[in-house]
Amino acid sequence: MKTRVLLLIATVAARVAGAQRAAPLTPRDSALHALDRLAYGPRPGEIERVAAAGVLRWIDAQLAPDKIDDDTVARREREFDVLTYDRGDLARLYADVQRERQERKRMGDTAADKPDDSPTALKGRRFAAQVQQLAVVRAALSERQLYEVMVDFWTNHFNVYFAKGADRFLTPDYIEHTIRPHAMGRFEDLLIATAQSPAMLFYLDNWQSVAPGASPPFPLSARRREGQGVRPAPKGINENYARELLELHTLGVDGGYDQHDVIEVARIFTGWSIRRPQQGADFEFHDWAHDTGDKQVLGIAFERGHGMDEGIQLLKRLANHPATMHHVSRKLCQRFVNDDPPDGCVDDAVAAWQRSHGDIRHVLRAIFHGPDFWAAANIRAKVKTPLEFVVSAARAVGAEPDTTPRLAQVVARLGEPLYLHVAPDGYPEREDAWVNSGALLDRMNAAVALAAGRLPGAVATLDSVAPVTADPEQLIAGIDDRILGGTMSQNTKRVIAEQLSDITDPVQARALAVGLAIGGPEFQRQ
Amino acid sequence: MTISRRVFVKSGGIALFSVGLDPLFLARAALGLDRLSPPSTALHRPILVCLFQRGAVDGLNMIVPHGDPMYYRERPRIAVPDTDVVDLDGYFGLHPRLAALKPLWDAKRLAAIHAIGSPDATRSHFDAQDYMESGTPGVKATPDGWLNRYCQHDREHQDTPFRAVAFGPELPRILAGTAPSLAIADLQAFGLRAPQPAARDRLTRAFEELYAGSATGLLSASSREAFEAVQTLKRVDPTQYQPANGADYPRGKLGKAMLEIAQLIKADVGLQVAFADVTGWDTHVNQGASEGQLAARLAELGQTLTAFAQDLGEKLEDVVVLTMSEFGRTVRENGNSGTDHGHATAMLVLGGPVNGGRVLGKWPGLDPASRFEGRDVAVTTDFRDLFAEVLARHLGARDLSAIFPGFTPDPARFPGAISA
Repeated sequence: MKTRVLLLIATVAARVAGAQRAAPLTPRDSALHALDRLAYGPRPGEIERVAAAGVLRWIDAQLAPDKIDDDTVARREREFDVLTYDRGDLARLYADVQRERQERKRMGDTAADKPDDSPTALKGRRFAAQVQQLAVVRAALSERQLYEVMVDFWTNHFNVYFAKGADRFLTPDYIEHTIRPHAMGRFEDLLIATAQSPAMLFYLDNWQSVAPGASPPFPLSARRREGQGVRPAPKGINENYARELLELHTLGVDGGYDQHDVIEVARIFTGWSIRRPQQGADFEFHDWAHDTGDKQVLGIAFERGHGMDEGIQLLKRLANHPATMHHVSRKLCQRFVNDDPPDGCVDDAVAAWQRSHGDIRHVLRAIFHGPDFWAAANIRAKVKTPLEFVVSAARAVGAEPDTTPRLAQVVARLGEPLYLHVAPDGYPEREDAWVNSGALLDRMNAAVALAAGRLPGAVATLDSVAPVTADPEQLIAGIDDRILGGTMSQNTKRVIAEQLSDITDPVQARALAVGLAIGGPEFQRQ
Repeated sequence: MTISRRVFVKSGGIALFSVGLDPLFLARAALGLDRLSPPSTALHRPILVCLFQRGAVDGLNMIVPHGDPMYYRERPRIAVPDTDVVDLDGYFGLHPRLAALKPLWDAKRLAAIHAIGSPDATRSHFDAQDYMESGTPGVKATPDGWLNRYCQHDREHQDTPFRAVAFGPELPRILAGTAPSLAIADLQAFGLRAPQPAARDRLTRAFEELYAGSATGLLSASSREAFEAVQTLKRVDPTQYQPANGADYPRGKLGKAMLEIAQLIKADVGLQVAFADVTGWDTHVNQGASEGQLAARLAELGQTLTAFAQDLGEKLEDVVVLTMSEFGRTVRENGNSGTDHGHATAMLVLGGPVNGGRVLGKWPGLDPASRFEGRDVAVTTDFRDLFAEVLARHLGARDLSAIFPGFTPDPARFPGAISA
């Protein structure tokens, strides 16, 4: 085993060397690149540690997250009491908020716009904020950095919307028990888990999809109240999940299917539903709702009479379809290599997918060990998303976010409120979605606030990053080295030096210099 | 004044990063020409303000069909009494708490479109808002909103950061997309934040130099826009703004948003598309009639629109305000003296270019046989027909099918909200 790994490293090193002939990367450059892409940026001193250990060795360690000790995060997770509530508990809390609000309205409290400040409502809001903040805390503090990056990737690939009806209480469970356990396993398992998750079934309406004319064996049709509206009983098939499954989750928009396939897929998934949607919503297959005819998807016949298994068989086929391999590999290369993913990266990833039958770790390893990942054209070629920017900034200044939602609020302010992307395509990966004048100014403000210690709940520990000094040159060199990994331009050095020239208080000078460095152009890239 | 300065900035700035994209656009920009208007009206650039009434407004109690006995039969507790309605045409009338709008109606600056809505039957707020903002009813995967797509396809103003602005903490779905758009939570706080003006200016200069000297690609172009916007706002100085003509905006989010929109319009910073939310319309319980919950929301809306029109004065001639809401509410009141999720609703258009003083759209009536699914006001105008008309006839949009994919806008179906 060990020899194999060493051999692999040697082979890859040779390929990497070949790819880099134009602009050789120093071990520090390689370490920074890996930390920027596989992790949420370096913490103080981490570039040196990764470079010393060997960047390929560090990458392979990140590919086996179970073997990485992560006590800090385990300890921090215990501070988030939302994790002790299952989706049934959260459903009850949500129902209580609704009931109390209705009650107050009935009593004549008609201020429709007034925020609901009852203890139950406050608890509900605190929990929702905790769920978002927990993502930031894990991203910032976890030793399993690549794993957290992949959780974010799949959360967007299999997007649900936290604020849609029952997804208010189904989303936390979805993240914890659908996405996270499968984030670095087999794609097929992840796909099936999302298909059977109450959060996805609710978000894309499949829970209401029934064969035309089918009616439940119990008086469901006797219109019952659900939340605030009265819903009529389901009337027929709903294509939403089927369409997004093909277009976004698996084959991709040019994946070779047509509207007929969408309808056939929807027929296969009739009956994939949830039990008691307002009380916790377990996955449940409804035989009565299932379309009992023969179906055909992409030319493959699905014989009648197999009930829920038809869906399972379809998901397995889709998970291993060449179009799916290509579509998902392309998205991974876009995430890790370049907004316009190089064909070579995609080909390497697809080949690994085929060899490993969709083991995500193997696909990732192929990307990281491929020449495109290390090509000069792809170094610092991506702009950070708001989440990447905020988390990398917190890591750079050694800030340890607590359970208060400050950092998650900053991420939201910069345009990426977590779990709140309405459309099923998830937050975009390309820079043009994130770089605009308003968002850039907000990044600068966030950087200045973080460096000045004005973000309670995420206080920078600058003494370990850039010790106070009366010598501006030394300060700037330290910031370049420890925060920007040596990427600071001459212009940035000059501008910061000018700004420091008339500031006598060294603590104030340091805060300004760090704020300018993090809010400046170099730190927006990775 | 401002415009001509911007034209020079525009032709100079654009050369640095998007030359060759669209020579026709550059030529027009450099000459200050607008395709649909003669050069002398370059200062009169059309502006669209969209207000989203989130929660599904009860169109029947906003623009009341007081001439229909069925309205009173179905709503014994929440119908607006005939004696309270501000009559418009003998059949429809304004809710009494919208009375402030009557002078605008009489001046033909305000029109209503009734029985308007989505061809999609959903009664989910989430789905219906999503469809109204994406502009693609029934299609969830549309990545951007229709206002953003308008900005993508008609690039006249693309280098002003204030071209498309949403007033609120986050960019709404309707403006999501690749065309630059701003979300402004507070106009006074836009830009770098620092305790004193001097510190703020200094920080702004420092970041401006950082980006001017080291940024590449999109970071460079966007940062230039950002600092230009900051400079522009500094000149405008929002802290000193006084509404004109005695306009009195109601306190609250809506009043503040509309005041800031008026401010940007009057400052000539290139605002073309503005958006704001107004919530509180989901009146399932104790909706009220002439007074009550809905009446309070309508009063705020009416007073805000009135103040906005007063404040703009002659500038209103360039502006259209368009209200929208995801669907309407049941014809019949429910057991809680409220209304449940329905289908068609009513929308308002206000402004100089509006073909006002009329209730537009084909009225399907309230007879149970003509209702949608036997319970709701039927949709006789697809919301896209109204939106498309406003984009084409007011903003001069050319490629409507790119803005509303899967839909073929047909001027013959336009409700006639904009004067020809």
